[in-house]
Amino acid sequence: MEKTTTASLTAKKTMIGQRLNKPDAPDKATGKTRYINDMVLPQMLIGKVLFAGRPHARIARLDTTAAEKLPGVHAVLTGKDVAGLKFGFVRDNVPLKDKVRCEHDEIAAVAAETEEIAQRALELIEVEYEDLPGVFTPEDGAREGAPQIHDNFPGNKSLHFEFKDGDLAEAEAASDFVVDNVFRPHHVTHCCMGTSCAIADFDHNGKLTIWTQTQYPYNYKMDLAPALGIHPGNIRVIQPPVGGAFGSKLDVYPYEPIAALLAKKTARPVKVMYSREEEFKASPTRQSAIIHMRTGCTRDGTLTFRTADVLMDNGAYTSWGPTIPVVMMRTVSGHYRVPVVDFKAQAIYTNNPYAGSFRGYGNVQAAWATAQQMDMLADLVDIDPLEFHLKNAQKSGEVTPQKSILNECVFVECLETAAAASDYGRKRKEYAAERNKPGRYKKGIGLASSIHNAGGAKIHKSDGIGTILKVDDYARVTVITGASEIGQGIDVVIMMIVAEELGVPPEHVTIVNNDSDIAPWDVGVHASRTTFIAGNGTRRAAQKARAQILNAAARALGELAEDLDLRDGSVVRNRDGAPLLKLERLMRQMHFQPEPELVMVTDYYEPNSEPEGAKYSSNSSAAYSHAVHIAEITVDTLTGEIKVDKVTVAQDVGRVINRMGLEGQIEGGIAIGLGYALSEDMRIEKGMLKNPCFRDYKLITAPEIPTFDLHFIESYCVEGPYGAKGISELPTIVIAPAIANALYNATGVRIFNPPMSPEKVARAIHERRVQATSPDGGVIPS
Amino acid sequence: MQEITTYLAPRRLDEALRATADGDATVFCGGTDLAPQTESGVRQYKAKLLSLRRIEELGGIEAEGHEIRIGATTTISEIRRSSALAEIAPVLVEATEHFASEQIRNAASVGGNLCNASPAGDMSPPLLVLGAAVELACWREGAVRTRRIPLEEFFLGPGKTAKLPEELLTAVVFERPVVDFVGRFRKSGPRPALEISTVSVAFGARIANGLLRGVRVAMGAVAPTPLRARHVEAALEGKPLDAATIAAAVAATTEDAKPIDDVRASAWYRSHLIQVFVEEVLNDVRRN
Ligand SMILES: Cc1cc2nc3c(=O)[nH]c(=O)nc-3n(C[C@H](O)[C@H](O)[C@H](O)COP(=O)(O)OP(=O)(O)OC[C@H]3O[C@@H](n4cnc5c(N)ncnc54)[C@H](O)[C@@H]3O)c2cc1C
Repeated sequence: MEKTTTASLTAKKTMIGQRLNKPDAPDKATGKTRYINDMVLPQMLIGKVLFAGRPHARIARLDTTAAEKLPGVHAVLTGKDVAGLKFGFVRDNVPLKDKVRCEHDEIAAVAAETEEIAQRALELIEVEYEDLPGVFTPEDGAREGAPQIHDNFPGNKSLHFEFKDGDLAEAEAASDFVVDNVFRPHHVTHCCMGTSCAIADFDHNGKLTIWTQTQYPYNYKMDLAPALGIHPGNIRVIQPPVGGAFGSKLDVYPYEPIAALLAKKTARPVKVMYSREEEFKASPTRQSAIIHMRTGCTRDGTLTFRTADVLMDNGAYTSWGPTIPVVMMRTVSGHYRVPVVDFKAQAIYTNNPYAGSFRGYGNVQAAWATAQQMDMLADLVDIDPLEFHLKNAQKSGEVTPQKSILNECVFVECLETAAAASDYGRKRKEYAAERNKPGRYKKGIGLASSIHNAGGAKIHKSDGIGTILKVDDYARVTVITGASEIGQGIDVVIMMIVAEELGVPPEHVTIVNNDSDIAPWDVGVHASRTTFIAGNGTRRAAQKARAQILNAAARALGELAEDLDLRDGSVVRNRDGAPLLKLERLMRQMHFQPEPELVMVTDYYEPNSEPEGAKYSSNSSAAYSHAVHIAEITVDTLTGEIKVDKVTVAQDVGRVINRMGLEGQIEGGIAIGLGYALSEDMRIEKGMLKNPCFRDYKLITAPEIPTFDLHFIESYCVEGPYGAKGISELPTIVIAPAIANALYNATGVRIFNPPMSPEKVARAIHERRVQATSPDGGVIPS
Repeated sequence: MQEITTYLAPRRLDEALRATADGDATVFCGGTDLAPQTESGVRQYKAKLLSLRRIEELGGIEAEGHEIRIGATTTISEIRRSSALAEIAPVLVEATEHFASEQIRNAASVGGNLCNASPAGDMSPPLLVLGAAVELACWREGAVRTRRIPLEEFFLGPGKTAKLPEELLTAVVFERPVVDFVGRFRKSGPRPALEISTVSVAFGARIANGLLRGVRVAMGAVAPTPLRARHVEAALEGKPLDAATIAAAVAATTEDAKPIDDVRASAWYRSHLIQVFVEEVLNDVRRN
């Protein structure tokens, strides 16, 4: 089969680093996608939940008789029906409550033929409450004699974390400068466009099928089972397309067992779906906290120590929110080279809504503090501010006090690239000089960075993933994987990796990843892990298939396997790319020969990280990464409005896999971070949410999106797929402190409690001016 | 929610007026206020739902004569695109620029904006400085009866107007402003798009021989109704537009604006913004 070859044939094209559309994009853009929220099953009933609507109360009387009698109502459940079905991180939650501990506590649930009947039934339920004094801040909850929220959690104490390393007293003594501030990161919520929804159905053998938005289908079974009193093995989880998750679906929330319990009682499928108002009130929040942080350094700009004392508002129940110190402390101890650390965090139960996990997972709050203190110190030391950052930035091979091993670390390159691209040094100096001159509009530039796990996070016993890969008679590939797709784009990554290894067009790859009875185990979509973990799993499986195919091709062609390659749907000669045999044909030959052979391989990939452990001293991620953001803003010093003009990003991405997905994740992540920084704010007054709608809860909209200048720094992570690292949380983490630092650069004010809303900024600037012009001679601090 | 048993979408005004003669119908035009209000439960539907959108005589902008007339069902988008209004009353068109989003502007009507009587409604301040009146009609004794009242007297409180339940707002009218009339509008909210005003300010006056004449200043979201800022007006009337006058006008805002704290902004911030905007608007007029 000798053929003439051309130069273009010999060049092996790589998929890695290309820009590919998500396969689900056309259907989503045209409205064809059937989200879980759109699903209707035959015989399906609608479930609705009666919320308490008060923060703390005893239920004196509960009468459901009238609701039960309403025609079209099939079941009414209350706390009595679920006694003992405890679930949650510390088993402090039940699907339906016998005492009210927060505004959205689920008191009763109905299943009815239609939503209108279900709604009417809720109105017929009679409840008498005896209100109890509430606890609405963690400080109040921690006070002696504070009202008790759970009988079995004395002092309202929830989770506690500590990490210490080095001699603090010595480090303090060696410090020339110490900054000491209290930061108060606030409550925000995910605002998924698809509201919370679950559809449950039991068969007569007692097996539950639940259609859910979960991001962690396998551990989800384990968490859901106790809320239903059934064995996790009797749960099948199906994940239809979802309208966003961002961490909000990394736990079981009461509406899910409620749907299942109603389905069990009625022997019909039951769907529970929140309205937007219910979504605002009853879905989890980002953890709010009070962070007392101190950072010290010497005159020449060498960091000496960092301490953090964190008090967290647990809310009424414990989901994943109060576990964020696990990530926070890695930032406190590892954001720059910190020789001595002292970290403490205590979560206190309150009658507020409770926090779950949310993109950035504690690092949003931690970096809000660490990155601002770095900026403060940069103004105090005797060296150039950028020099100060570079001096303390870790390099490859360093190990943090918590034993995070920074194998391929390009923090320095990130800092240098972002600073050069934005002309940071010159502008920072120039804007600071303008700060106290007259003029309504002030420009500012701010640098912030952080470190985050980029190779999974071994918070469970395993951080692995199972993959099954098959190639059919038409050379179409199916990857059956535990990796969930919740819109983040793992589908394209898997398609590209298969295409890279097997030389098939990416659109010939089908992914099956939405049914726990089919796909093998995975931890879930969280911790910026899926491209890293599932990418490795897919690559390993594809390489097994590749070896099998090339061996068969070698036999068929009488060549050596190592002289062959798979490109453009054919077996080719490695040397010059000459096509020798169509892959499709080979697949059929393998199948229909006397000793038939099918290509179907399995793989279980476990990253080389160590379990988190009780002492928090382990290399818990297989990789770590840094990002630097430089925000350029214009502040209207009278209205307090901050316009973000431009954001320069330099992020260690390991290696670009899908360039378009990467850009989307970074820009989308920043959009979430911008909302956190500037406008999003759950206005919770005495436990009650005052702004449960998009009119009053301000998301960032298209006109506020700044210009982006993105720089992907490729560090080629040895453990990552093709060198890639996880990337998706850092964008959300770093932007807010970058803007805070820019605000200071522009105006000389710092806001410690986000969001930096126009009102807060205007007031701070106004107060600074009043102070500066006051007769007792306030000098404008700069 | 009460069940809607009758839905009416007449083509003629008299049919609509007959349908509301008992004062017992839910009237809507774009529905952009009504839908969120009924959805959130602050307001209930009545059994009879009446749409005004098909009534041709309630739409349209008449800008030829001495009196300018904007039909009640005219959408915010129509005002925004009207070249006649851009020339005659740019202050009104300016206020449509910052109004909601394209989709909402295409549905939202000027009549709905006024009848909703939100203190933050964006059509009110510019119409107040144009000296507008509203035309109200009802069906009585076998005929259509209309009356006019100045817009200022129309607003009674948040969501409350002088319109009787059986009446419909048919048009908003104002005298063609004189050629040397200058007007400005400014609103603020924490976001550039899709934002309810935290506060808003409109200014209108003539400058004759260097002196301000016929000054009208209106404010939104600083009191239970949109209002004319009489103290600010007094500080400006007959004065040259110089730094001293502007300072006096800014100082006078505290007499007119009595804002409250709510979930969107504190009273302090609203008072502060009003001062900023009055100063900004006056400086802008002075410069041009
Ligand atoms: C997302 C969003 C953003 C918004 N942004 C803004 C904004 O920036 N600025 C602003 O001012 N408003 C804003 N609004 C509010 C609303 O769009 C406006 O007030 C709009 O002008 C209302 O007009 P409509 O035709 O939709 O009123 P409808 O909802 O149809 O009616 C409003 C009220 O007026 C009554 N009504 C309507 N027409 C008549 C009539 N001819 N006679 C008698 N009664 C009548 C109705 O019964 C109802 O009580 C916003 C609304 C939304 C949903």
